Amino acid sequence: MTAPPVFDARGLSKRFHMGQATVEALRGVDLQVSAGEVLVVAGPSGSGKSTLLHLLGTLDEPDAGALTIDGTPASSMGEAERTAFRRIRLGFVFQTFNLLPVLSAQENVELPLWLAGVSSGERRRRAHEALAEVGLGARRGHRPDQLSGGERQRVAIARALVHRPLAVLADEPTGNLDSGTAAEVMELLMSLNRAHGTVFVIATHDAALIARAPRRVALHDGRVASDERKASA
Amino acid sequence: MKLALLALRNLARNRRRTAISLAVVATGTAALLLTAGFMAFSFEGLSEAMIHGGLGHLEIALGSASAGRTATLERSPAEGLDDWEVVQRQVEALPGVLAASPTVHVAGMVSTASGTSAAFLGVAGDPARERRMGFSVKLRQGDPVPDAPPREGEDRVMIAQGLAQALGVGPGSRVTLLAVDLEGMLNALDVTVAGLITTGVQELDTRYLRLSLGSAQRLLGTTRVSNLLVTLDRTSRTEEALASVRSVLAGHQPPLAVVPWTERAPFYAQVEALYVGIFWFLGTIVFALVVLATSNTLTMTVMERFRELGTLRALGTSVWQVAGLIGLEAVWLGLIGGVVGDVLGAGLIGLLNAIGITMPPPPGAVDPIELRVVFVPEAFGGAILLMLTVLALAAVAPVLRVARLRIVDALTHT
Ligand SMILES: Nc1ncnc2c1ncn2[C@@H]1O[C@H](COP(=O)(O)OP(=O)(O)OP(=O)(O)O)[C@@H](O)[C@H]1O
Ligand SMILES: [Mg+2]
Repeated sequence: MTAPPVFDARGLSKRFHMGQATVEALRGVDLQVSAGEVLVVAGPSGSGKSTLLHLLGTLDEPDAGALTIDGTPASSMGEAERTAFRRIRLGFVFQTFNLLPVLSAQENVELPLWLAGVSSGERRRRAHEALAEVGLGARRGHRPDQLSGGERQRVAIARALVHRPLAVLADEPTGNLDSGTAAEVMELLMSLNRAHGTVFVIATHDAALIARAPRRVALHDGRVASDERKASA
Repeated sequence: MKLALLALRNLARNRRRTAISLAVVATGTAALLLTAGFMAFSFEGLSEAMIHGGLGHLEIALGSASAGRTATLERSPAEGLDDWEVVQRQVEALPGVLAASPTVHVAGMVSTASGTSAAFLGVAGDPARERRMGFSVKLRQGDPVPDAPPREGEDRVMIAQGLAQALGVGPGSRVTLLAVDLEGMLNALDVTVAGLITTGVQELDTRYLRLSLGSAQRLLGTTRVSNLLVTLDRTSRTEEALASVRSVLAGHQPPLAVVPWTERAPFYAQVEALYVGIFWFLGTIVFALVVLATSNTLTMTVMERFRELGTLRALGTSVWQVAGLIGLEAVWLGLIGGVVGDVLGAGLIGLLNAIGITMPPPPGAVDPIELRVVFVPEAFGGAILLMLTVLALAAVAPVLRVARLRIVDALTHT
């Protein structure tokens, strides 16, 4: 209970300037995420879900507020350190899967290990294992365009987890999937969380997905409107 | 999985566009090879024509005669070599030397029995040695002057066509040569026209004649020669031979000057500069065209893959790895295009040479020339290096674009 939170956000604010207009995407968000948690960020379109995930993922920097990830202040990291931090400690899942089309499923999953300098034999073994875990062991050699949407997202999830990150940030991971496939993907994320203790922060509109989440943070106009945990958790 | 391999696979994504880029690079490469080959042919042809047309690779003359007048083609034996046969033996013993052949230059008047006369420029040499050196006299009519030294009263000459025409003489005609001998006296020599020749140059054909060494020395009352012309087995050995001939003759009294053909050939430096200038001009055009075309495609590639590049950055790929991915695509284009261009260029050169194109005589020349394109081995490697440079330049803007990419913008890019 005394371990530092994986994400500790205090008063995060982010503004965008579009010509004369200024959009306040986040207006002082406080959020603590502990090790092993699965968290859904809900809220209407434009409420700031993606912006929050970008900040948590060190893909963008806040205008105000402080963010500490696993005890390290994000503001203390330079560009190269943030890149290395993402490579080693974080995983990403996108609505549009974002697999490299010229690489096979296996090679896509190997990518984070390759970036981390893992040897080729070790890479192959771990990517194979990660694909088997998402139920795609038999489709290793397929290119993304030979896979269905659900299968692609499973490959992307394997890619996000293969290097055993602290946390995975998933922005609308089921946004491009039908409801049945979406439920399977959510189930997969939950089971991977149980197996590895990886933190999942999932931004979504999907009511079914929100309903299954152990913890829900609702954003409204860039502010945290509610933060609830399931009674059973 | 290497970055270079990933770049290669990315190239295969838009096959049509890649094919067009490769075609541009390959065409540029082949164009440069053909240009280089044609220039080398022209230049080699010109050089060899000058060397074997009478310049030789090296000239050995009296230092005092040569000083400040290296480019002089006509040398009076007044300032000539007395012991030329000794020098000849020394030089001909050196490796790579085909022959060191004596020449005597004589200028004067030639007149016919009917009273027509004209100025002439006579060159006398050693016919056997000149043949060995590849000096060819282009005989158009009649016979050459015999190799053996002529007996007194049996002197023969070969007259250039233009001069023969002006005098109205042909093979078998008798003419008289008048010249001032080395004592300053006017001397005359009756000779028979053996044959008509051409120098290949119209201007020179109106004044030129050739005679044997013995005849020229008789006319000038001397046993000296104007100079020795040295010819080598290969033109590329000129520098090396220059040094060895100079060192062999270093102690000679009076001092001798050894001058390479490049310093004696008329307009050599200008012609070389002209060729190099033309080559640079064409090269720059090809360079600019290929840079523009490939830079445009690479930029389109970056734009199209914005989201993918953003994803790579999100996953922790460094800026330089992502920029390198685009740079490596450029390198592949340059390398593959260059190699294809080399093959294409070699094929075209072979084809042109097989067809055999004859070109009209260049200005001032007499004979038409057979067009050939030379394989310049250095140009094949050079063209690939050039294309790599071209592509590196073309990649600058796209790579900078990647380096400046904001991850969040790239991820939300549609
Ligand atoms: N790069 C940007 N430039 C300008 N405005 C932006 C930018 N990114 C986000 N915004 C604005 O910030 C606000 C929050 O956007 P964000 O993408 O975080 O919302 P969201 O909750 O993810 O919405 P959605 O559910 O539609 O994905 C919106 O008003 C959006 O228009
Ligand atoms: Mg969003």
